[in-house]
Amino acid sequence: MEFKEKLISSYLAFEEDLDLTDSVHDTRAHALKIFEEKGFPSKKDELWKYTSLDALIHKDYSLFPKSEASIELKDVKKYFLYDTDTYKVIFIDGVYNPFLSNTTHDGLDVCLMSAALSKPKYRDIINSYFNKIAPFDESLTALNTSYAKEGAFIYIPKKTVAEKPIEIIHFSSGEQDSLWLQPRNLIVIDKNSQVQIIERHQSLKQHSVVTNSVTEIYVHEEAFVDYYKLQNDLTTASLIDNTYIQQEKNSHASVHTFSLGGKLIRNNLRYFHKGEHILSTLKGVTILEGKQHVDHSTMVHHSQPNCESHQDYKGIFSERSEGVFNGQILVDKIAQKTNAFQQNNNVLLDDKATVNSKPQLEIFADDVKCSHGCTIGQMNEEALFYLRSRGIPKKEAKALMTYAFANNVLESVQLPSLKKRINGQIARKLGVNLGFEL
Amino acid sequence: MLTIENLHAQVEGKTILKGIDLDVKAGEVHAIMGPNGSGKSTLASVVAGNEDYKVIKGKILLKGNDLADLDAESRAHLGIFLSFQYPVEIPGVSVTNFIKTAINANRKAQGLKDMPASELLKKIREKAKLLDIDSKFLSRSLNEGFSGGEKKRNEIFQMAMLEPAFAILDETDSGLDIDALKIVANGVNKLKGKDNAVVVITHYQRLLDYIVPDFVHVLFDGKIVKSGTKELAHELEAKGYDWIKELA
Amino acid sequence: MAYTEEELKKELETKEYEYGFYTDIESDTFPVGLNEEIIRKISDKKGEPEWMTDWRLKAYYNWKEMTEPEWANVHYKKPDLQSISYYSAPKKKPKYENLDQVDPELLETFNKLGISIEEQKKLSGVAVDIVVDSVSVATTFRETLAEKGIIFCSISEAIKDHPELVKKYIGTVIPPKDNYYAALNSAVFTDGSFCYIPKGVRCPMELSTYFRINQAGTGQFERTLVIADESSYVSYLEGCTAPSRDENQLHAAVVELIAMDDAEIKYSTVQNWYPGDKEGKGGVYNFVTKRGLCNTRSKISWTQVETGSAVTWKYPSCILKGDYSIGEFYSIAVTNNFQQADTGTKMIHLGNNTRSTIISKGISAGNSQNSYRGLVKVGSRTKNARNFSQCDSLLMGNDCGAHTFPYIEAKSNTAHIEHEATTSKIGEDQIFYCNQRGIDTEKAIALIVNGFSKEVLNKLPMEFAVEAQKLLEISLEGSVG
Repeated sequence: MEFKEKLISSYLAFEEDLDLTDSVHDTRAHALKIFEEKGFPSKKDELWKYTSLDALIHKDYSLFPKSEASIELKDVKKYFLYDTDTYKVIFIDGVYNPFLSNTTHDGLDVCLMSAALSKPKYRDIINSYFNKIAPFDESLTALNTSYAKEGAFIYIPKKTVAEKPIEIIHFSSGEQDSLWLQPRNLIVIDKNSQVQIIERHQSLKQHSVVTNSVTEIYVHEEAFVDYYKLQNDLTTASLIDNTYIQQEKNSHASVHTFSLGGKLIRNNLRYFHKGEHILSTLKGVTILEGKQHVDHSTMVHHSQPNCESHQDYKGIFSERSEGVFNGQILVDKIAQKTNAFQQNNNVLLDDKATVNSKPQLEIFADDVKCSHGCTIGQMNEEALFYLRSRGIPKKEAKALMTYAFANNVLESVQLPSLKKRINGQIARKLGVNLGFEL
Repeated sequence: MLTIENLHAQVEGKTILKGIDLDVKAGEVHAIMGPNGSGKSTLASVVAGNEDYKVIKGKILLKGNDLADLDAESRAHLGIFLSFQYPVEIPGVSVTNFIKTAINANRKAQGLKDMPASELLKKIREKAKLLDIDSKFLSRSLNEGFSGGEKKRNEIFQMAMLEPAFAILDETDSGLDIDALKIVANGVNKLKGKDNAVVVITHYQRLLDYIVPDFVHVLFDGKIVKSGTKELAHELEAKGYDWIKELA
Repeated sequence: MAYTEEELKKELETKEYEYGFYTDIESDTFPVGLNEEIIRKISDKKGEPEWMTDWRLKAYYNWKEMTEPEWANVHYKKPDLQSISYYSAPKKKPKYENLDQVDPELLETFNKLGISIEEQKKLSGVAVDIVVDSVSVATTFRETLAEKGIIFCSISEAIKDHPELVKKYIGTVIPPKDNYYAALNSAVFTDGSFCYIPKGVRCPMELSTYFRINQAGTGQFERTLVIADESSYVSYLEGCTAPSRDENQLHAAVVELIAMDDAEIKYSTVQNWYPGDKEGKGGVYNFVTKRGLCNTRSKISWTQVETGSAVTWKYPSCILKGDYSIGEFYSIAVTNNFQQADTGTKMIHLGNNTRSTIISKGISAGNSQNSYRGLVKVGSRTKNARNFSQCDSLLMGNDCGAHTFPYIEAKSNTAHIEHEATTSKIGEDQIFYCNQRGIDTEKAIALIVNGFSKEVLNKLPMEFAVEAQKLLEISLEGSVG
């Protein structure tokens, strides 16, 4: 049986322990129908021109992990931001793990999607926000919606600054081979509030796992969300990350994506504006080797006047790795005085590495400042020579420069401990011995 | 030449000029001084016909013609020239091409034919020499990548080419070093004659050492609070603007 | 550069499409529709050899299997290809040794087009091959060119007189099944130009062709083949106009360029096919395939000024096959009213040390949509490829759109690619500055637009540059609120 068929037929089993009278369930059923019609995206879809899912979807996966895997803190501590006190929502093989987690209901809600979906006190929030910006016409998102049940739920009420960063970590234990996970996160930041969130998907053993994740983030007036995606998984793990952000006036939503490992990663990051004077920030560093493949598909839809967006993606590709950047800036007719910028810079370190970049502008308003730039190249030979003339061996000089190239995206990382760690990871990946703290 | 009567003007709903009276006769040089925000540049823009500024009361007459209903280009055709404080960049349009277009547009308004290329070229060379402008400069895109001094020199070069009846120089001295200032002032002085008039807007007295005014006016909070001869400029230089505020 | 602003002002007085007149010449038109019989008839009528007929038929059967492309950012009612007449030729057999033999009304047409053959002959030394509704009617300077061994004639003549060259090269850069419209063209092309520059010859004059759609309901399917042999040079100019007609007319041309080792081809186009009226009614569908093949150290440079057509779908491209070869694309695309343009280029870097430059200037006004679509591709075995692309859009008014769709594919770590794009509008302050100097707003805009397009206008041969500036202004008239 094709995996698509399995997804459709397994739905009955999934429905068994759910409340079928619930309106959320109507949404699920509708989404399944759409997935059934559309199926998985193929290279014929313009947005999937450079990324094929064929190798992933022509396999069998189990959708429901059989038993709860047990993991000890000492085995996974290194994946946490251990030197910083954080709220934690931890899942193992898609199942919530209360021992590793640190949730709260004190002044803000950091808890489980399953709880939010079932408890009456969250009814209004679910009705107002669940699946309101995740589009039905993207089939993978529809697929996630149809199986939406578990994930992180974060609600920051008005005028609240979350004291601690929140970590959302999805582990896959490897107890079970060929796992298809579909976490669903909902994050609402009410007026004048702030939060920092770190999301990570991590497999603990080499085993085949595909995660098709959907996160909806609602950023209300004057609110600020600072979101970090750490993608440094094993080469047997693939991730399709779909993140949708809706912003209201005077808000700022910033997403940093660090793609340092994994088999195939696809990041769909979409911004929607519902007010004026919004700032949207999208940054990414991608460093790949082997046969890894990372595809950043971004879209900022400027539908209101006086908003600003900045996209800055840097990629370093060695061996046979492949990078894709498909960035869209859309400016509606009414969105006058938009400032939208997009930059994609890539370095190819080996002659089998590939970059496909498609930075697009679609502009319907005349009083705007929009630009994009894309470069593909190697290291600046002059600078390289300069370093070598100071006695730094070529290999090291190259690594140092590559590191510097990637590292300037880190400047906007607001969490010092996170910055330090990513900085270290990048340096290690590029073979740079820092020997000092930056 | 130019008469301004009880001029009140607004920008974005805010009244900046609150009753200006000024009479500039042919052959005269007037200086308008005043602290930042007193309305100097607004006055220049209003006279030139910038539509962002709204005249709410009073009038401006050039050689007896009321300018109220005239757009900026028609005012230019009548002989008004504004040397901009911040000249705008027009990429891809060379200084030569621009000045040629401007001259012929003005000639057309006067019912004249285009200036023959040879005559134009001669005039460009002559005026460029006057302002010590290199011929390479003339083929560059208008104001694009120009230094502050180059921009101002280019403004005066255009003035020399267009030979306006009435010129307003808005902070032409800002951004100029002393050598450039002398060249620009020298250019202005050479262009001065009995049939035209110049209003120099400046914050500092420095420029007035080189372009000597017949009259000096002090603008404060949208009104001319004091007028005098060039000695007034020296007084301002020595005392600053604070004592002016008390006059208001 | 010649100064034209004043002349432009005069042009501005006429609000309607200035080349919108219809010449009443007796035409010989085929019944509408497309089938094997029609293709045989076209081939037969033109007295073509059998290999050509077979080539056309093969293309026809390929085409029948294909569907019309839909990926471009344009929306229009697809032309009914069965309601088009595929052959329309002025009836009087047009074979003139000198201009006196030409139908006076036709000459009048040329005069109205402002391409007075005699004038051009005398003044600019341009050899003109004029194609009116598909059949070449006048070729000048052929003798002068013949002395140098240059062949410049209609493609029909080339098929008869130089079959070995045509047979060897036609369809080698754009295979008949390349795309829907190229396949259609291959099956039904009625005429076009052929040019061959022998080894080491520098063509002493600009070669020029004017295309014009005249007869109602006829599609224009011309085919151009330019071959520059080793170390030769040619500059080729192509101009296009069509009278105004209400129904959309289809124009599906194919242009193939072949630059042998060390050769250089400069191909310049000024396209002002009828763009439709202010309400978007009528206008030409311009679906053109243009591609050049560059051999070692050769260079192909495409320069285009696109101001006409209701819908444009056009990507003049370079296949940089030879090492050290160079491809260039300089484009100005202006859309106004309800025009739609999806245009750009493809630079395919196959050879080592190949270089390409793309400069695209899009100007959108009225309710129009203007898209740049480009591909820069560097293969995995290609060393040291370089590309620089700059795409600038200028928006005039708030009912139009400017879009940029660059595709950049690099598989080589020695590739160096830079792409930049910006979008801007004409600043109020720029207009006020011009106004203050006595320049009215309409002229100020023309000045600013010309400045914006400068880098591309400078690439055009002189006589074309003047016309191009004029066209920019004409096509943007009335776009100033």
